Amino acid sequence: MRRSSIRVGVVFIEGTNCEDESVAFFRHLGAQAERVHLKQLTGDVPAELRRDLDDYDLLMIPGGFAAGDYVRAGTIFAARLRSKLSKDLIAFVRSGKPVFGVCNGFQVLVEAGLLPALGATMTAAPEAVLATNDSGHYECRPSLLKLENGGSCVFTRGMKPGRVVTFISAHAEGKFLLPQNREKKMLKELVDNDQVVFRFVDDRGRYAGYPWNPSGTTYNIAAICNREGNVFGVQPHPERCFFRHLEPSWTRESGGDSQYGDGKALFESSLQYLEKRF
Amino acid sequence: MDDRLRKRSSPFPLYEIPLRDAKVGDLKSLSEKLGLSLSIEEMARIQEYFRRIGREPTHVELQSLGQAWSEHCCYKSSKVFLKEFIFPVQAPYVLDRGDAGVVEFDEDHAYALRIESHNHPSAIEPYGGANTGIGGILRDVLAMGAQPIALADPLHFGPLDTPTEGLPKGTRHPKYLFGGVVAGIRDYGNRVGIPTVAGGIVFDEGYLGNIVVNVACVGFAKKSQLVRNRASSVRDVFILCGGKTGRDGIHGVTYASVDLTDRSVREWEAGAVQLGDPILKEPLIHACIESAQGGLLDGMKDLGGGGLSCVVGEMALAGGFGAEVDLERVPLKEEGLAPWEIWVSESQERMMLAVLPESVEKVLRIFELYDVPATVIGRAIPEKICRVRYRKATVLDLDLEFYTVGPEYTREYRPPRTVAMKDLKLPPEPTDYRTTILRLLAAPNIASKEYVIRQYDHEVRASTVIKPLQGVIGKAAHGDAAVVRPLVDSWRALAIATASTPHVTSLDPFLGGATAVDEVCRNLVAVGARPHSLTNCLNFGNPEKPDRLWSFREAARGLGATAKALGLPIPSGNVSFYNESPLGPCPPTPVVLGVGIVEDLRRCVTTDFKKSGDPVVLVGTTQAELGGSEYLRLQKKGQGPPPGVDPRALRAAIDHLLAAIGAGTVAACHDLSHGGLAVAAAEMALGGDLGADLKTTAMDPMRWDLQLFSESNGRWLVEVQKDRYEEFGHLMEGTPATFLGTTGGTSLHLGKGRQWTSLALPVMRKAWGETIPRQVVVT
Repeated sequence: MRRSSIRVGVVFIEGTNCEDESVAFFRHLGAQAERVHLKQLTGDVPAELRRDLDDYDLLMIPGGFAAGDYVRAGTIFAARLRSKLSKDLIAFVRSGKPVFGVCNGFQVLVEAGLLPALGATMTAAPEAVLATNDSGHYECRPSLLKLENGGSCVFTRGMKPGRVVTFISAHAEGKFLLPQNREKKMLKELVDNDQVVFRFVDDRGRYAGYPWNPSGTTYNIAAICNREGNVFGVQPHPERCFFRHLEPSWTRESGGDSQYGDGKALFESSLQYLEKRF
Repeated sequence: MDDRLRKRSSPFPLYEIPLRDAKVGDLKSLSEKLGLSLSIEEMARIQEYFRRIGREPTHVELQSLGQAWSEHCCYKSSKVFLKEFIFPVQAPYVLDRGDAGVVEFDEDHAYALRIESHNHPSAIEPYGGANTGIGGILRDVLAMGAQPIALADPLHFGPLDTPTEGLPKGTRHPKYLFGGVVAGIRDYGNRVGIPTVAGGIVFDEGYLGNIVVNVACVGFAKKSQLVRNRASSVRDVFILCGGKTGRDGIHGVTYASVDLTDRSVREWEAGAVQLGDPILKEPLIHACIESAQGGLLDGMKDLGGGGLSCVVGEMALAGGFGAEVDLERVPLKEEGLAPWEIWVSESQERMMLAVLPESVEKVLRIFELYDVPATVIGRAIPEKICRVRYRKATVLDLDLEFYTVGPEYTREYRPPRTVAMKDLKLPPEPTDYRTTILRLLAAPNIASKEYVIRQYDHEVRASTVIKPLQGVIGKAAHGDAAVVRPLVDSWRALAIATASTPHVTSLDPFLGGATAVDEVCRNLVAVGARPHSLTNCLNFGNPEKPDRLWSFREAARGLGATAKALGLPIPSGNVSFYNESPLGPCPPTPVVLGVGIVEDLRRCVTTDFKKSGDPVVLVGTTQAELGGSEYLRLQKKGQGPPPGVDPRALRAAIDHLLAAIGAGTVAACHDLSHGGLAVAAAEMALGGDLGADLKTTAMDPMRWDLQLFSESNGRWLVEVQKDRYEEFGHLMEGTPATFLGTTGGTSLHLGKGRQWTSLALPVMRKAWGETIPRQVVVT
């Protein structure tokens, strides 16, 4: 499929707050992109505003505080998604189309059972949780992430494994936790399935603690994908490093890409995947 | 119910007050009884109005006048001075002055800016107060049709290590206030998705009884989507949108216009602090902006102080019309609100739209998609009258000029009997400079604010190109200004910085106002931005006390004069009076937010030292000006004159430095403020994780502590690209620039003649980094 015919739907509800930049950056790369309110997908709007999941080739759930995150991050958005769109979502994922969750979007995908999705395409209950940071509060800081994925994830295929990128952490609930009694087994499964995509490292590439790991997340996990690699959730924001001049220390560096930052590769990879596959 | 209220026959409780025959002595007690905070003279003026029209006022009418004529709403004590010193400072590129100032960005775009105080609510209920402070300032910018793109919060508290014993009744501990305010800003700003990119925190004993919490916002818009804060046609209908109306926030403006006493604290607690809801605000912003972009709005204004009672009259009168409102159409949070409560409630997250009848349907549909309530509640009328009905009975019917314009006073002002000494009386010279510098770095006003900055999302909207913390990842130190890029297809950007100068203002309010402008300009220039416009919030004591008013007037004069000399317009602002408690007034606190234009953001520089071997140059002139400095505060001995301001020299320095940055000769730049040269050098070294060897021998001869710690205005410390040093020198010709040394190593070496000291980076980082995290721990 041609780049210009790729349709990206960036889904939002009240409190989602990163939809505008996400739409802008997909458009910047030549795709069609629009923000779409969840109500437009569930049919709770006048006819001319209705949208179908099938109208899109890539679905993104962007960052923010959907419905305030007052229960637990992502829970309310996920519950609304599941209540009316479960079937459509499962069909969407099974068709191989990419689903992209950033920050709050990652939390939504986990709460919805779409990640890590060890038991099914969409598990009936969440298999993991993104819990409150060890610091007890919101952390907005640049993070270094090492690419661990060996090639399964459609969002990172354009990057060399082992590469360290800079994204922006900005969350209060980013600590990826698995059920205590099954943690080891599940973690092994995630690694064996090539589902661990990024892990937090320090400035020398080591798996380090706070503040390099801003939340105390298990196994320094910053991003995971499903077994097939088309559903992807990342806690720090790649879009906030989309351009070179958004990188946290660009004034210190000369040379390199004069236009783009590390985050662009994820957007680009997913579009290239669509171009090739469909 | 008070026996002076007479019930009218109506299907709901409606009272009228026999005012026409009231004696002078009764007027004051009536004002107090109804919680109006109006003076005898003001009550007499109201009495005369009702005598003239030949009827008694309703309870609703008196409440409305109490709101409209409050200091908070009509600036009755400050307006005369603002007209003299602030309003005349103009520039041709100012497009509008409304709830926020609107200034041209480029041919097709504009930005909006505003700052205001939320001192009293935050002193009572810090979390909710800060929450709604952010909510309110966002609406001010939104009301111009502009998308909020950045927030900034200059905050002032008592020292965090103040002992609990001995605080007056009703006064909260600074640790509680600090924690609550920071959390309130964090939880509102982060949820609503507008980055908090700038601000500052000042600690001083003077804020123990009355904290100063200022909130500022910058917005951005296509010129075509800008909206005025008024009705534009007599056919306009009024649509109230956003939050429902409840009993929260009743009498907020009246309590904001009196001193904070134990009694007023209790009254606030009874319901004057509003409740914020960022998750309603977020879609409300979308819906308002979409309506503005669709050209569907004839006018828009936010509901802040005074609620409906202020917004309807002001919008109608500004358009040259009157208004009619049906109160029972207002969506309520709970049943049983009296009409006056609906009319004056300051419930949050509400905006008023003026819309032509043919556009109403389209506007309502936009709001429906976002699940944001929007209801037609009234319309414009040709007569300049405000008429409010509730269940078919008229509860308010007032001449709009009389109602809305409010009184204006020239109150008495005079300098306090003891004016601060301006002679220099030096403290003994430190025997151990190393310890002195480490203690300065650890002083709360200088120490790292990373603990706070990292709790605020300063990156949302993916447009923050220069961050509040700058330098090596994991080691970044304070920047001077943040830069946001509003358009992805343009390199033109906006720099944002704040300054507040209570310590200088306490010594000399004129210089305090002037220094605030000087400092904010230095901050903007340090990243490579040309200062473009200012907004100010003047936080002072009780204006009915002549010395407080003198101090306010002097600060406004200094601020206005300096802005004028620099050619910087001040298209918006705010005055906060009555910042007094049983402990006395808070330090006089002028706060300025400055916006600068960055022509090409790729040329921006940050404060962190970049590479070894670069020359380090001090720009500007250092004088023996220790007054108000952190150094004297630390030494607890000695005194000195506050820093002078030389706008002509500053203007030249700005031009030269911007040329040098624009040419790419500058690697790093930091303004000199709290702690002077020594602290600026330390922060640059910490951010870059790179030392320097600096000798002050070439500076004007004076004692070393004066050279290192004086807080003279108009100065920057600059790391020059080694291979561009000569070019830098040419570009700076005409502005004093003193070579001090070069970058390199892992320590900061400072020396003068035979005096020297050396501080290793990790030692400085520990001193600088640990103060705030240690002090916030609740023991």
